[in-house]
Amino acid sequence: MVSMKTHNILRIFTAALAVCLMVISALAQDDPDPNSPTPILLAGPDRTRVLAVPTRRIRLFDQGAASRQAFPPNSKITIYVRNVDLMEGEGANAFRVYAEDAKGRQFRFPILAFRVSDPEKSTYAVTIRLRDDIGYWQSPIPNGDLLIRIAWRGLTSDRLRLGYGSTGGSIKDDPIPFSSARTATSKFFNNEDAAESSRPGYVGYRWSGDRMRFLEQAAFGPTSALDSRIRRIGLRTWLHEQFEAPYPSLTNPYPNIPLKSTDAQNVTLGCGANNNTLEYRTCIRDHYTMYPAQAWFFKEAYYGEPQLRHRVSWALSQIWVISGVDTQQASWLIDYHQVLSEHTFGNFRNLMKDMTLNPGMGNYLDMARSTRNNPNENYAREILQLFAVGLFMLNPDGTLQLDGQGQPIPTYDQNTVNNFTKVFTGFSFCNTTCPNSAPGIVNYKDPLILNQNNHDITAKTLLSYPGAVNQNIAPGLNGNTEIDLALDNIFMHPNVGPFVGKLLIQHMVTSDPTPAYVGRVAAVFNNNGLGIRGDLKAVVRAILLDPEARGDVKTDPNFGKLREPVQFATNIFRTFNVKSANLAQNSDGVFYPQANNLLGTMGQSAFYSPTVFNYFSPDYVIPGTSLLGPEFGVMTTGTAIARANFVNTMVFAQISTSENVPLGTKLDFAEMQALAAADATGNQLLDALNQKMMHGAMSASMRSTILTAVTNIASTNPLARAQQAIYLVATSSQYQIQR
Amino acid sequence: MTESRREFLKKSGGCALGMAAVATQMQHLGMMSAIAQKVDDDSSRPEGGDAYKALVLIFWSGGNDGNNMVIPNHDSPTISNYNAYSAARGAQGLAIARNTLLPITVPRMGALEYGLHPALGPVAGGTNNGIHELWAQQKMAIVTNCGTLVQPTTKAQYQMSSHRKPYQLFSHSDQTAQYQTSISNTQSFTGWGGRVSDKMTAGSNPAGLIPMITSISGAQLFTAGQTTLPMAINDSNTLLANVLNPAGFTNTGGPARLTAFNQLRSLDLESNFVAAASHVTDLAMQANSALQTPGDTTTVFPNTGIGRQLRQVARLIKKRTDLNVNRQIFYCQIGGFDTHANQLASHTTLFTQFSQAVRSFYDEMGVQGVQNDVTTFTLSDFGRTLNPAGSGTGVGSDHAWGNHMFVMGGSVLGGDFYGMNTPNGTPFPTLTLGGIDDTDSSTAPRGRWIPTTSVDQYAATLARWYGLQPDQQSLVFPNVANFPTANLGFLP
Repeated sequence: MVSMKTHNILRIFTAALAVCLMVISALAQDDPDPNSPTPILLAGPDRTRVLAVPTRRIRLFDQGAASRQAFPPNSKITIYVRNVDLMEGEGANAFRVYAEDAKGRQFRFPILAFRVSDPEKSTYAVTIRLRDDIGYWQSPIPNGDLLIRIAWRGLTSDRLRLGYGSTGGSIKDDPIPFSSARTATSKFFNNEDAAESSRPGYVGYRWSGDRMRFLEQAAFGPTSALDSRIRRIGLRTWLHEQFEAPYPSLTNPYPNIPLKSTDAQNVTLGCGANNNTLEYRTCIRDHYTMYPAQAWFFKEAYYGEPQLRHRVSWALSQIWVISGVDTQQASWLIDYHQVLSEHTFGNFRNLMKDMTLNPGMGNYLDMARSTRNNPNENYAREILQLFAVGLFMLNPDGTLQLDGQGQPIPTYDQNTVNNFTKVFTGFSFCNTTCPNSAPGIVNYKDPLILNQNNHDITAKTLLSYPGAVNQNIAPGLNGNTEIDLALDNIFMHPNVGPFVGKLLIQHMVTSDPTPAYVGRVAAVFNNNGLGIRGDLKAVVRAILLDPEARGDVKTDPNFGKLREPVQFATNIFRTFNVKSANLAQNSDGVFYPQANNLLGTMGQSAFYSPTVFNYFSPDYVIPGTSLLGPEFGVMTTGTAIARANFVNTMVFAQISTSENVPLGTKLDFAEMQALAAADATGNQLLDALNQKMMHGAMSASMRSTILTAVTNIASTNPLARAQQAIYLVATSSQYQIQR
Repeated sequence: MTESRREFLKKSGGCALGMAAVATQMQHLGMMSAIAQKVDDDSSRPEGGDAYKALVLIFWSGGNDGNNMVIPNHDSPTISNYNAYSAARGAQGLAIARNTLLPITVPRMGALEYGLHPALGPVAGGTNNGIHELWAQQKMAIVTNCGTLVQPTTKAQYQMSSHRKPYQLFSHSDQTAQYQTSISNTQSFTGWGGRVSDKMTAGSNPAGLIPMITSISGAQLFTAGQTTLPMAINDSNTLLANVLNPAGFTNTGGPARLTAFNQLRSLDLESNFVAAASHVTDLAMQANSALQTPGDTTTVFPNTGIGRQLRQVARLIKKRTDLNVNRQIFYCQIGGFDTHANQLASHTTLFTQFSQAVRSFYDEMGVQGVQNDVTTFTLSDFGRTLNPAGSGTGVGSDHAWGNHMFVMGGSVLGGDFYGMNTPNGTPFPTLTLGGIDDTDSSTAPRGRWIPTTSVDQYAATLARWYGLQPDQQSLVFPNVANFPTANLGFLP
C-alpha cells in the first residue's frame, strides 16, 4: 500500500514537471511543412505495368515468370517504391498495397518485408504476398491484370497493372492518374495568406487546405476567425492554447439543473401531476429530458472557444457511452459530462476511476445496483470490451495478435468478467452523507460510495497479460482499495494504448488508419516522453500532428471518414456563421424534439445513443466494399435522404422559433451572397466554397456541374445563386466525406 | 451435395489460399475464417415464377427473458413444472402468478399445458386479442431453448476449453451479432438475411425496384450482405411516398439543382468513401421513384414503435406488384428488453406492444390475402438468467443464453414446440439452477440454459421455406452442417 501511494505521488510530481516542460517546448515550436511526398510505384519499361520480380521461385520451370510478367496467386513478389521520406520507425506497417480486379473489388496484399534497395536510400523494395489481406471478397481470380497501388500517410501512388495468373483481361487503366485526380492546393488561397506568411519571423500555419482539414478534425468545423488565427499562430501554439483554455466557455457554463425525484409526477420534488400546462411541460423538458444538455452542447460547439476539448470530449462520450434513452434526468447526464470533460486532457487512468464511480454511468450500466448477493456484470463487461481493452489481444500497432493456428487470442473470458463483476459490487448512490444528498431524491451528482457489506470480498483473478499488474486480488480487501487495484490491472494492459488510440483516430481523422499511425499514437499513450502512461493531452497532440493526419491534399481513396451527423451539421453551421432565426443573435442550440429531430432523423441525436455500443460500431464495414467506415453504420437510404433534407431546411429555411425553440437557428449567407453579386460568372462564389468546404481540392468536374446549376439562376438573384451552390456542395458525397 | 462442395471449393479459391487467408491478420474486421466468409455475389438462379413470400423479423433488442414468456403450467413430477419455476423466481418476486398465465397445450410435451405471459393475450385498451389465440389456430409455433452455437454442446463440453463455443457469450453486441449473422465461431460483417438476399435477388427479384431487404429500424448487421445494401426507411408516421423523397427542388433554380444533385453522385468516385456515400444515395433515389404509387393498410395498428414499423412493412407488402418484388425480407426491432431491473412492469409493456402489433400485422396479411405467404419470426440477443437480479419491485434478470422464439404465419405448422431435445428428453430446458441445462455449477448458479437448438438451424428452416436452394444453404449458413438437421420442421 505504501509503495502504491509513493508511486502515485511520484506520478503526480512527474506530471507537473511534464506540464512545465511542455509549456516551454510548445511555445518554441514552429510547424513543419505538413506535406509528405507522394509515393511513386516504379513501372516497368512499358510504363503501365508495375516493376515486379518474384521473391522466391517456387519451381525451377517458373523462371520465365518475370518476363511473362504474371504471377501466381499466393506468390511472393517484390515491387519498388520511391519518393517517400521515412521518419524514424516507419516501415512496412506504414504502407498498404491495394489491388482492384476487373469486377471493381478491392483487395489488400500483405507486406512481408520492406527495405532500402539502393545506395542512395531513395528506393525501397516492398515484398508482398499475392493474397487478400482483408478477407471481404474471395481472392481475385487469377485470370488477368489487376491494378495495384501503394498508399502511405493518406497519399497514394498511381495505379499500375500487375499480371495475376496471366496478363491482359478486361480491366481498364485509370483515365486520370490518382495522384492528379485531386488538384494540389496552391500554397495560398488569397493575398492575405501570402502577405501574412511573407512577414519576417512568420511562424504561423500557411497550408490553407490543411488548416481547414485540421479544424474539422480538432474542432466542430472551421470558421473564418479560427482559420485566420491558426494561419497566424500555427497548429502547435493553438493546441497549446486549447490545452490550457477554460472549459466550457465562460459565457456558456454547464447548465445547473437540480436533481429531481425519479417520480416525475411527485408534487414537491418532481413536476407534479400532469396538468399539461406550459409550466408542467417546461419542467419535464428541462429536467426529465436531455434538452438542456443538448442545447448547451450545441451552443458550445457553434461558438465555444475551447473547441478541441469539446471535440475530444464528444469523441470520448461516444466511447464511454451513457444515453438519454436510459438516463432519466438532464442533471445526471450533465454531471457525467462534467466528469468526462474534466479528464479529457488528463490521464486516462483518472478518467477510468471517475467514470466507474459516476452515478449516471452506475445507473446506465447497472453497477449502482450490483451487490455481492445480486451481482450485475454489465459494467464489468463493457469497461473491458468497449472502454479499455477490447476482445482480442493486440500488437502495439493495433493489429491482432494471432496464435499458432492463426486465430486471434481472446483478451479475457467469462470467468474474468465474473471476477471483475465481484470487484464492482457494493457501490451505490450517496443518498445521505454527500454534498448533494437530499431526502426524496437519488444523488446523481456525487460519486458512488461503497457499502462494504454489499461488496464481494472473495479473492479475484483479473486480466492476464505479460507482466500483468494486480492479476490476483487477495480476499478480504476493502472495495475502494480493490477498485484501484482492478483499474490498474486494466489500465496497464498493453491493449489500452492501441485500442483507445485507434478509436480516437477514427473519431477525429480517418476510419481506417494504418497500423503505423495507430502504433505511433499508442506509443505516446504508453509513454508521453516523460515516462507517463495514459496522458490524453499527449495522445490528442500525437493524433492531430501525425503526418498521416496532416497535409494539404489527401489522395488515398481509403483516407478520411464520413462526417457523422453531428459533425455534418456543426461543420456547415460554423462555415456559415450560424445565428438565431432572426439573425440578430446567437442560436439557442436547440434541435427539437430531443430524439426525433433533424439530427435524429440522420441517425445521431446527441446524448441519445440507442445502446452502449454508440450510434455506430468502430468495426462497421460498408456493404459491397471492403472498406471500414464506422459512420456509415448510420448512413442508410433513409438517412442519406435525411441529410439532403437537413441541408434543404438549413439553406432555404431555418429552425424556427416555437414553444421549445426560443431563438431558433439560421445560417448567414451574406458573405456568399456578396461574392455571387460581385461576380456574375459565379467563379468567386465557387472559389470561396472550394476553400471553405473542400480544402481547395474540389475537382474540375464537380465545379463545372455546380457552376452550371448556379448560372441557371439569374445573376440578379445572388442569394438564390449562393443557396444553390451551398446546397449542392453540402449535399454532395464529396463534402460529406471528411478527407 | 457434390455440386455444392465443388462450388464451395471453387469459391474458397482453393484450399491453400483459404487457409492462407486464415493466417492473415484481419486488423480491422476482427478475425474471420476464410471458409465462413466466402459467399459469392453472382450466382443465383431463377426461382421459377412461384408465389410471393416474405420473412418478417422482429428483433427483441436487449435480450428477452424467455423464462417469463413460456412457463410450465402443469404439475408433472418428471419434468420442470410450475413449482420448479416458482421456486427459482418467486421469492424475489419475479415469478408470474399461475392464475394469470394464458394456457397453451403442447403436443410435443405429451400434451401438457404451458402458459404464455398474460400480456400476449387480450389486454385493456388493446385493439385486438393479441397473439395467444394464434396458438390454438395452429398459426404460431415456439422454437424452444434456441441460441448461438458453433456445434452441439453438452454441459460437460461447455466446461471443456477445447470445445468450440460462441465467442463472447452473454455480451450484448457479440450475441446480437451472432443471432444476426448465424456465425458464432468468428466475427462476420454480413448478416444471414443479407446473405440470403445476395443469393436470391437476381433469381427472385430480377427487376425489383427496391432491394430485397428493408429495415424499418436503421442499419442492421442482419440486413448487410456482401453486395446487398438494404433499404432503410422510417416507420408508418411517414408515408411511403415521402419516406425517401428529398425535399425542395421546386423553388428558383430547382430543376437545375436536382439535375446537378444527381450528376454530382457520378463524380469523384476514385475515393472509395465518396463512392460509397453516392451509392447509398443512388439507391435511395431509385427506390423513391418506385414508392410514389398510392395505397395504405386497412387494419388498425397500435400507435407504438413496433406497431408503426409493422404497419410500414404491411404497406410495402401491399405494393409488392408495383415494386416488382417476389421475395422480401423485413427487419423490425423493439428495444428495452435488457431488464436487469424493474422487469415486471417493463416486460408487460413490451409484450403488450409486441403482441398487439404482431396481431394487427397478421390480420392485415389476411386482408391482403397473403397470410400464407408471410412468416413473422423473432430473434433476440440472448435469454436471461432464471435466477433473478435483485428482488422486490426492482427485480430483474441478467444476461444468459438459450431462449424461446415465436414463429407466426398462415404457413406455420403451429401449436407446438420445435427444436432439439435437451438432456431431459424434451425440447424445454430443466428449470433447475445448476442443473443439467445450466452452464453454471458453482455455488451460486444463475440458470443460463445451454441451447440445444442453434440459431443456424432456426434460420436455415426459415430460409428454406423462403426459397433458398439446398445447394446454397452451406454458403449462407456455414456452420449448420455441424448440427443433426437444418430443418426444424415448423414450416412446410
